[in-house]
Amino acid sequence: MATSRRSFLRKGLIGGALLALGGVGLAVYPSKEVGVATAPLEALEPRAFQVLVALASRIVTATGSNPVAIAHSADRTLSYALPETQEAINKLLGLFENALPGLLFDGRLQPFTRLSAQSQDAVLESWRTSRIELRRTGYQALRKLVLAAHYIEESSWGPLAYSPPRGFSAMAYDDSQVGTPEWVRAQANGDTK
Amino acid sequence: MTKLAVIRSSPNVVDGSRSTGDLVLEADVCIVGTGAGGAVTAATLARAGLSVLMLEEGGYYTHADFTMREKDTEPRLYQEGMTRTTADGAIAILQGRAVGGTTVVNWTTCFRTPEDVVEHWKKKHGVAGFAYADLVPHYEAIEQRLAIAKVGYGSMNPNNRTLHDGCTKLGWSVDTLRRNVHACMQTGFCHLGCPVNAKRSMLVTMIPDAIDAGAKLVFRARADRFEVEAGAVKALRGTLLDAEGRKPTGRTFTVKAKRFVVSGGAINSPALLLRSGIDGGGLVGTRTFLHPVVGSAAVYEEAIEPSRGAPQSAASHHFAHRGDEVGFFLEAVPWYPALISTTTPGFGPAHEAAFVQSPHTALHIAIAIDGFHDDVPGGRVTLRESGAPLIEYPIVPKLWNAFRFAQKRLAEMQFASGAKTVRTIHEVPVVMHGKVDEAAIDAARWEKGSVPVSTAHQMGGCRMGDDPKTSVVRSEDLRCHTVSNLHVIDGSVFPTSLGVNPQQSIYGLARLVATRIAAAK
Repeated sequence: MATSRRSFLRKGLIGGALLALGGVGLAVYPSKEVGVATAPLEALEPRAFQVLVALASRIVTATGSNPVAIAHSADRTLSYALPETQEAINKLLGLFENALPGLLFDGRLQPFTRLSAQSQDAVLESWRTSRIELRRTGYQALRKLVLAAHYIEESSWGPLAYSPPRGFSAMAYDDSQVGTPEWVRAQANGDTK
Repeated sequence: MTKLAVIRSSPNVVDGSRSTGDLVLEADVCIVGTGAGGAVTAATLARAGLSVLMLEEGGYYTHADFTMREKDTEPRLYQEGMTRTTADGAIAILQGRAVGGTTVVNWTTCFRTPEDVVEHWKKKHGVAGFAYADLVPHYEAIEQRLAIAKVGYGSMNPNNRTLHDGCTKLGWSVDTLRRNVHACMQTGFCHLGCPVNAKRSMLVTMIPDAIDAGAKLVFRARADRFEVEAGAVKALRGTLLDAEGRKPTGRTFTVKAKRFVVSGGAINSPALLLRSGIDGGGLVGTRTFLHPVVGSAAVYEEAIEPSRGAPQSAASHHFAHRGDEVGFFLEAVPWYPALISTTTPGFGPAHEAAFVQSPHTALHIAIAIDGFHDDVPGGRVTLRESGAPLIEYPIVPKLWNAFRFAQKRLAEMQFASGAKTVRTIHEVPVVMHGKVDEAAIDAARWEKGSVPVSTAHQMGGCRMGDDPKTSVVRSEDLRCHTVSNLHVIDGSVFPTSLGVNPQQSIYGLARLVATRIAAAK
């Protein structure tokens, strides 16, 4: 146990140092504004929001998808997360954007938001299959955040043959009686193999 | 007005987010958390005539809030808005956060604790305070109150039926499940709260029972720390949260009680003890078990539509006991767009192409049974700087081996039940047509971030036993060894995982212990 704990902490420290690079930028290549926020942001920093818009445009390419709306939906989800998680996601998006670690790991000189679509896909692919655990788990965190933010919206369900009805709650039982009512027992017996 | 609505609007129910002042509360017993452990304890003690105060960090949502839409429900009904993960982000943690706890959002699968597990606890972990026979009458009472009954073969949706049929064809043991539902309408939305109150969760059973018997409930109330003096809790201090549970309102609460019960679950309970300086000699927060899950997606010619019908109605424990290797059990999982989109690999057009097959895709999982081998010690809950819990869980080699083996068996079962294509859920998946490719599964990248791992069953962290050197609470009544008026009653007391879905194990143990506490009042 002690060995695995030490190993875990070591990985955590390396991960922390890498993540800290997310806060360091190459000033000659500032981020590009790729979308305009349509509402006040609750959890994402403005720069991180831009990176998420750029990411959303590559992760979800379905006809009619809206990267700005996806980024806002993700921002709402993150508003329920711990402040520490919000900070980590903001840093992770900074790392994704940043040209300095991009130069070290992917050989790119420009921030993610300034890359062509093809180059952005190559960056995603590099993180996806990286030998560095933080890059793989970081990719997964952002990929899941974007996908869930998109598919949580009813507007995305068309191709999925998915349309849960509304109004079921009108048929709710009131089964709060103390003790077990006879009709519950009868039902239970009827369904017992 | 229905009885449930009367209870919801009772003066005994207080919305902490609306409090305009700090609260000072008193009771015979204060219970932190209203899930499987807390609600059963509250109902049992309130009926015994004790004044009971329940505290809940989450909101008090009812069937009318359960719109069968992930957007309306997942952020509100799950811990950390459904963003909770292990510290390294590698394991997604599904855990409820609402009045009724995880029972509001679970998939209604009920098992008694396996008898051999209770025996193992006695022999290996010194749990001498009860035997399996002591639990039986409490299981029976819970089964009656929650209408727990076995479903018939015809009740299964195709997602579960494929699991059942595949196992049967291979000669593997498999059975239909017992569920805590009454007249289930098969909406398939247990995961987002039952819109018709068919699920007999704590929300519609034990919490109303407790309030009916005089218990009080304050929700949107987060317990911060116990004040302990001379080996006893003198007070509990906490924070009131806003209506969505995202931020403190600036108001606080203080509770004075003769006894306190911690029922926050296997992550929040150890965190509360640690914030209070109760570390059990370094044991609190250790041996945290997650029943870690890997999955397999199978495409059939027939429509599966895994979002319809009871989410879980079949399970196989054929591989639960594997000697020196980690065992696992097989179940099905339902399909919701946001949740399942994240377990479909890739991005862009590749992801979309795989995801639109979903109406024909069955999803089956293998749930690893952790905690029974010395080299599978589980994880650890510690505190972040803010005091929130931090969960670390190393996936040790023996678990990776179990995942590999389980992935092959999942594929074998899926092909046996007629699947045309089977895909592992690796980020770079193994795609198989017609037969299992064991070499390709072995060669897949079994490492964090390359294969999604998740948990819906959290256990351990405040383990029971009778030796204070090796346990946090004594097994007789789950009282802390070091704090005379503090009990822990939830899944955190289990010394290992269970090898079955945990809700009924918690109900039964809570009822046994609460009955003993009531008798000793």
